[in-house]
Amino acid sequence: MSKEREKLISDAVEKAIAGDMDAINNIEDRVVRSKAKAALAKAKRLQKDGSSPDADLSGSDVPTVSNAPSENPNRMFGDRINQKFPGSLDGDLKDTHIQLKPDQWNDIAIWLKTEDDMLFDSLQCITGMDMGEDILEARYNLHSMKYRFAIEIRIAIPKNKAEIPSIEQVWRIGDWFERETYDMYGISFSGHTDLRRILLPDDWEGWPLRKDYEVQETYHGIVVPKVKEGWE
Amino acid sequence: MGLLENKFNDNVIVAKLDKLMSWSRSTSPWFFQFGLACCAIEMMAAAASRHDLMRIGMIPRSSPRQADVMIVAGTVTMKMALRVKKLFEQMADPKYVVAMGSCATSGGPYWQHGYHVLKGVDIVVPVDVYVPGCPPRPEALIEGLLKLQEQILQERPLTRKIG
Repeated sequence: MSKEREKLISDAVEKAIAGDMDAINNIEDRVVRSKAKAALAKAKRLQKDGSSPDADLSGSDVPTVSNAPSENPNRMFGDRINQKFPGSLDGDLKDTHIQLKPDQWNDIAIWLKTEDDMLFDSLQCITGMDMGEDILEARYNLHSMKYRFAIEIRIAIPKNKAEIPSIEQVWRIGDWFERETYDMYGISFSGHTDLRRILLPDDWEGWPLRKDYEVQETYHGIVVPKVKEGWE
Repeated sequence: MGLLENKFNDNVIVAKLDKLMSWSRSTSPWFFQFGLACCAIEMMAAAASRHDLMRIGMIPRSSPRQADVMIVAGTVTMKMALRVKKLFEQMADPKYVVAMGSCATSGGPYWQHGYHVLKGVDIVVPVDVYVPGCPPRPEALIEGLLKLQEQILQERPLTRKIG
């Protein structure tokens, strides 16, 4: 777009914001006129919502939430979980995540998904972690399609009793996510209807992404570690 | 039509049956399309119209029972290694294997720390030609296949091996 056109559009938008809509309607070139109208709509929206980057996304029909958008969602929902399920939080509230104990996780998950003013309907990922010191952790990234909140739930468990309630029946995508986490870390999700390895063969030994993993020597008679010396 | 048309009188052409057999084998080694990873894309490109493997007599077959050459194109995991072996065993003699790309020849980028990757497909099946590259270009694959054809041409299937 040429400089003159840009100037024409910006002038017209300034006049229109000041109250003179004719300045845009009188533009003869149809393309320039529609561009000016789009720019006007964007400018008005920015004026109304402040200059937050999400402002472009939120249309007027999306219901707003009573809490101020500047408040951190992990603190906000961590606090609400603590009120609804006392004693389920593990440690203090943090900006980055919500640390939970495993016991009530299934109930909490159902509540987070179905409660009217949260509706965390999208489970985006489950990540396994080996935290060292015999602690394993599962991290759940939840997203609310309606309200556009994103939170992270973390559940830490000891390695010798690696068991977390399954949320497979809450978010169906959790089926494969949990199988993958089981495959790599050996965290067994109690209540999962079909907890098998998903990537490695069924008869593989060990949990590969644990820190203390050691590769098995042979698999069905095939040597697993490198055998060709002198290539380096 | 052909180059040889109307060049001969009513004659008997004498050739070694051995040579004839290996010549006919070398000019039409149908390959088993066995794409496992990114190398398969280059194999497809080699088989498609620009590089056209069919002009050297190679037609992709979907069944191991119809194929003479298995091109192992890509990373062979431990889980797949058993299947590779089984598929190779299903092929009819004479059969050849081309290991395409770094992964199939030596394990490639996974050769030291990849616990799940077979360190070269030659651990489970006998390989005739190795084509290096990550992935090799179609030209490289075609060169490897021409080398294989040369190798097949040297064979004497009927002659009894001495020693």
